[in-house]
Amino acid sequence: MRYFDYIQPENIKQASESAGRDWRKALLYAGGTDLLGLIKNEVESPAALINLKAIPGLNGIEYSEREGLTIGALVKLSQLSAHEVVREKYSVLEQALKETASPQLRNMGTIGGNLCQRPRCWYFRGDFHCLRKGGDICYAVDGENKYHCVIGGGPCFIVHPSDPAVALLTLDAGVTIASAKGTKRVALKDFFVLPEDDIYRENILQPGEIVTHIHVPPVSEKTVSGYIKFRERGAWDFAVVSVAATLRINGDTIIDGKAAFGGVAPKPWQEEKINQKLKGLSVKPGNFESLSAEVLKEAEPLNQNAFKLPLVRNLLKRLLVQLTAS
Amino acid sequence: MADSKIIKSKYFFEEDFTEELAEVSANKYADWNKKELKVVGKPVSRVDGYDKVSGSAVFTFDVILPNMAHAKTLRCPHPHAKIKRINTKKAEKIPGVLGILTYENAPKISWYGKSFLFDPHLRYEGDEVAFVAAENERIAEQALKLIEVDYEILPFVTDAAEAMKKDAPKLYDDGNIRGGKPSVYERGDIDKGFEEASAVAEQTYKTQVEIHNPTEPHCSVVNWDGDYLTIWDSTQGVFSVRDRVADVLKLPASRVRVIKKYMGGAFGAKLEAGKYTVMAALLARKIGRPVRIALDRREMNLSVGNRPDSVQKLKGGATKDGRLTALYQYSYGAAGAHPAGAGCSWALRTMYLCPNVKTEEYTVYINAGRARPFRAPGHVQGFFALEALIDELAEKIGMDPLEFRIKNHTDRDQVFDAPYTSKLLLDAYRVAAEAIGWKNRPQPAGSDAGPLKRGIGMSSQIWWGGGGPPAYATLKLNRDGSVRIIAGSQDIGTGTYTILAQVASEVLEIPMEKVEVLLGDTAVAPYCGSSGGSTTAPSVSPAVRDAAEQMKAKLLSGAAAHLNVSESQLVYRNGVIHTKGKNKKSMTIREIARKMGERVLVTTGKREANPDGYAINSFGVQFAEVEVDTETGKVSVKKIVAAYDIGRVLNPKTLENQIHGGIIQGLGFALFEERIIDRNTGKVLTTNLHDYKLPTVKDTPQIDIRIVSKGDSKISNTGVKGVGEPAMIPTPAAIGNAVYNAIGKRIKSLPITPDKVLTALQS
Ligand SMILES: Cc1cc2nc3c(=O)[nH]c(=O)nc-3n(C[C@H](O)[C@H](O)[C@H](O)COP(=O)(O)OP(=O)(O)OC[C@H]3O[C@@H](n4cnc5c(N)ncnc54)[C@H](O)[C@@H]3O)c2cc1C
Ligand code: SF4
Repeated sequence: MRYFDYIQPENIKQASESAGRDWRKALLYAGGTDLLGLIKNEVESPAALINLKAIPGLNGIEYSEREGLTIGALVKLSQLSAHEVVREKYSVLEQALKETASPQLRNMGTIGGNLCQRPRCWYFRGDFHCLRKGGDICYAVDGENKYHCVIGGGPCFIVHPSDPAVALLTLDAGVTIASAKGTKRVALKDFFVLPEDDIYRENILQPGEIVTHIHVPPVSEKTVSGYIKFRERGAWDFAVVSVAATLRINGDTIIDGKAAFGGVAPKPWQEEKINQKLKGLSVKPGNFESLSAEVLKEAEPLNQNAFKLPLVRNLLKRLLVQLTAS
Repeated sequence: MADSKIIKSKYFFEEDFTEELAEVSANKYADWNKKELKVVGKPVSRVDGYDKVSGSAVFTFDVILPNMAHAKTLRCPHPHAKIKRINTKKAEKIPGVLGILTYENAPKISWYGKSFLFDPHLRYEGDEVAFVAAENERIAEQALKLIEVDYEILPFVTDAAEAMKKDAPKLYDDGNIRGGKPSVYERGDIDKGFEEASAVAEQTYKTQVEIHNPTEPHCSVVNWDGDYLTIWDSTQGVFSVRDRVADVLKLPASRVRVIKKYMGGAFGAKLEAGKYTVMAALLARKIGRPVRIALDRREMNLSVGNRPDSVQKLKGGATKDGRLTALYQYSYGAAGAHPAGAGCSWALRTMYLCPNVKTEEYTVYINAGRARPFRAPGHVQGFFALEALIDELAEKIGMDPLEFRIKNHTDRDQVFDAPYTSKLLLDAYRVAAEAIGWKNRPQPAGSDAGPLKRGIGMSSQIWWGGGGPPAYATLKLNRDGSVRIIAGSQDIGTGTYTILAQVASEVLEIPMEKVEVLLGDTAVAPYCGSSGGSTTAPSVSPAVRDAAEQMKAKLLSGAAAHLNVSESQLVYRNGVIHTKGKNKKSMTIREIARKMGERVLVTTGKREANPDGYAINSFGVQFAEVEVDTETGKVSVKKIVAAYDIGRVLNPKTLENQIHGGIIQGLGFALFEERIIDRNTGKVLTTNLHDYKLPTVKDTPQIDIRIVSKGDSKISNTGVKGVGEPAMIPTPAAIGNAVYNAIGKRIKSLPITPDKVLTALQS
C-alpha cells in the first residue's frame, strides 16, 4: 500500500474534478466495503481517495407513481431493502438485497458501490498480474475456473458479482451519471460492459464520472417478481448463479416479463430472445421447462463450470413456477 | 497415602504411540457413583465464561508489553525456488525498522529434519524468506516490500499422484516418497479372504486438503529478561514449545517460560513450536525489545498446517451372511513440503471384525504447505472411505447397512490383540438408529420423489483418547479454605479450566467459586502433555482427583490432631469434618487451614497407570439426515444424531460444545472446505475466509446427542475418555452415505459440492 491523498469534496462537481484529473489515479470512496479490500490486497493502489459521503443529495429514496423509485447512490443496501415501497412493489430487488453479502456489509455498503464493485475472480484478487490488471494472460481460462463465466467471456472470464444489479435489470432500471460536465441518464443494461469492449472496467464510467442515482420505473399492480440466489453455503457467499424475473400476469398469461441471470457472464446477463418468449406465454410448467431449456444457448463453458447451465435453467423454471403459482 | 511409582507409560497420542517414563499414582479411590455426584457430570457453566463474553479475556493475540516491537514475515511467492541473492539494505533504512533476519545472518538452526529455520531452498509458496521487526506492523509490512530477493525458480509439483512419478520435480535429493517406500500393515491373508468372499466391492475415494483456520491465528509475544526468555504463545503444548525453543536456542529449560492463558481455538496445528516463535526470540534478543508476531489469515492458509489430502483405493469382501472376509487399502496423501504424516488406514484396520487385512500407504512430498495433525488425523479421511465401502458391500449382499456393521462388531482390538476396557457401540447404534428413524429411510436409495430428496446415512467411529501418564496437578489449599490447582496442561478453548475445577470441587465438597485453576505456565506448573489426541480430560482430571483426595486425607489428619481423636472417628461432609456419634465436634476446611497454615497444604496428584493388557478407545456413531436438491445439487444437512461411548461425562455443557464443534467442522469438510491450488502456477487460491469456505450458522443442522456410557473405572479414577476428535470423525462419512441414500449416486470425492452432485445426477 502506498500513501494516498484523502479528498472530501462537498459537491459532485468538486468530486468529479478531483477524480477526473488524468495525471493520477483517484478512486471514489462510498461505503468502502469493496474498495478497502481492493487496496489492502493491492489490486488497486490509488494516489487519492475521494470520499463521496459528504456530498448532499445522494442519500435519499424517493417514490412517485409516475417516476417510480429514485435511489441515491449512497443509500445503504440495508436501508433500501427495508424501504416500504421496495418491500411492497419490488420483491425482486428486496430479495436480492437481502441475499447480498452479510448484515454488517449491507449496513456499510451502498447501492452505488454495489453496482460499481470490482470482480471477485480469485486471480484478480490474488497476486496474479492478469489481463484485467494490465498483465498479458488470463489465468482462469485454463486454470481453476469453476466460478467463472459461461457466456460473454473472452479474453477475460469474470462473472459480475452484484446481486442487486441482476434484479434491477428485470425492472428496467437506469442510472444517472454525473461529472463536472453535466449529467446523463443511461439504461442499466447499457451501463455494464463486456471484456471484449473494455478489459479493465466492468462499466462505462470514465474517470470523473459518478453514479448519483438509480431509477426504477413504476410497476403495475399485476406485476410479480422474485430472485433466487444459488450459493454453496448458507450465508456470506457470492452467487454461483442467480436468477431474477419480473412478470406482468393476466389470468393464465404472462403479458410481458423479463428475466436476468447472475454468475454466468462478465455482466449481469439478459437474453432478448427469452424476454420475447415470455411475452404472451401461458402459465404452464411445460412451457417454463421448454423456455428454460432455451436459456444460455450460446454458452461456452470452461472446463470446470458446465454445471452452471443446468443450474441456471432449473432455477429459472423454479422461479417461474413460484411466481405464477396462485 | 501418596503412593507412587515410576513406570514406562505408553499410549496413543494422535496417530502414534507416545512412550515415556512417568511417575504414576498408586492410590486407589472408590469408583464415582453418578447418582451421588454433586458437581462432576453436572451442566456447570464455564468458569471463563464471563471473561470471554465480556471481552475482558486476554488472548495471546492481545498481549501488549511495554516497548514491544512488531514482526512480519516475508514469504516465498513461488511454489519452488532457491534464493540466489537477498538484499535487505533498503528495508533496513526505513525509519522504524528495528531488525531483519534472513538465512544470511540467522543462526543455522535445523528444522523439519533436512531443512533449516531459514532455508535458501524454498519448497512451497509461503516458505519463510525473511523476518522483520519494526515499531509497528505497518512499517514491518513496508519493509517486506523493500527486501530484494533474486529467486531461481524451480519446477514444482503440487499433486501427490504427479509427485510419485519418477520424473517429477524433486523436493529432496532422495525423492518425493517419504522414507522411499509405503508403510505396510498386514494381518491374515487377504488373498484367501477375497477367495472366501461372495461379494467384493472395490472403489477409489478422495478427500481434499483442509485448513485448520482457528479463530485466533498463530501468534507469540516474546520477552528477554537477561538470558531468561518468556514466551506468550497461542499453543496446545506449553511444554512442547518450551523444549523446542530451549533446544534450538541452547538454553536451559529452566530459563524458558511459556505461558498460555486463553486461546481462540486450535485443531492440531498448534501442537509444536512455530518457526515464527523462534525467529521472534532471535530478533528480540538482537534488538533488545519484546517482539510480537501474529500471522495473518493468508499466512494461516498457506503456512501453518493442514489435513493432508488422500486418495484411497479400497477393496472389501464379505460373505452372503454378512461376514467381512478381507479388507485392503492402497492409499497416498500429500505431506506438503516437509515431513508429516499423511496416513489414514487406522479406520480400516480397527473398526470392524476382519481377519484378513492389508494396508499400503504412501506419504508424498509436494510443493505446498506442510500437513499437521488435524482433529482426528487420518480418521476423518479414512472413515469417509471405509464407511462408503461398507455401505456398498452391504448393498451388494442385500443387507441393511446397520445390521452389516453389527455383524462385524468386535470387542477386541485386532491390531494389538487386546480387549477394550469398554465398548458400548452396540448401545449407541440402537439409541441413535431409533432417534433418527433409520427404518424410515428411503429404500431403495434415491427413491424419494424429488426434486428435494431426503436421505439418511450413518458412520461408526473409533478413536483412542484414553490419555495416560505423565500428568501432574498440584493443589494448594489457602488459609481461607479456597483452593488453587496448578497443572502444566492448557485450556485451548475446550473448557479444561472448568472441568478440573469441578473435580476438585467434587472431592473437597467446596463450591466452584472457591477453586481457581492455573494452567499453561511452564515456570510454575508441573508437567502435563499437550492438548491433543483427545487426551487432556482423561489424563489430567485423574491427577486433579488424586491431588484433591490427598488433600482431603491431609485435612482429616489435621482435624484428628487438633481434636485429639483418631481419624477413623471423623467424617468429611460438605467441606466440614465431624466426629461421629453424640457430642459432635466439627471443623470447617477454613478452620483447619488456618490452624495448619499454608506450610503443609500442598499436594501433587498424578495420573495413574493405564491398565495392562487392554486397549482404551472411544466409540460412537453418527446418523445424518440430508436433503438434496436435485435441481441445484445442493446438499442440506437437516439433522445429526450422535451417540457415544466416551466414558464419564464431566460436564454436559462442555461435552455439547465439543460435539457441536466437531459436527460443524465435519460438515464443513464434507460440503465446503477445500484448499485449492492453481494447477498452472502452483499457487494457493483460497487464502482468505471468503474463498476458503468454512460453514456458517445457516448450514448448521439440528444436533441430537446421546451418551450411552458411564465412567470407565478400568481407565482411571475419573473414568473419562476424550471426545474432541471423536465428535468429528463420523460426520463426513455419515453425510456422504446419506447423500447416496437420497439420490442413489455416490459422490466419491469430498467436498460434496453442487457441481459434483449435478454432474453425478446427469450421468
Ligand atoms: C465479504 C464480502 C461479501 C460480499 N458478498 C456480496 C454478495 O453476495 N452480493 C453482492 O452483490 N455483493 C457482495 N459484496 C459486495 C458488496 O455488496 C459491495 O462491496 C458493496 O455493495 C459496495 O458498496 P460500498 O459503498 O462499500 O462501495 P465501495 O467499496 O466504497 O466502492 C466500490 C467500488 O465502486 C466505486 N464506487 C462507489 N460508489 C460509486 C459511485 N457512486 N459512482 C461510481 N463509482 C462508485 C468505488 O470507486 C469502488 O471501485 C460482498 C462484499 C464483501 C466484502
Ligand atoms: S478471468 Fe479476468 S480477472 Fe480473472 S484471471 Fe482472467 S483476466 Fe484476470
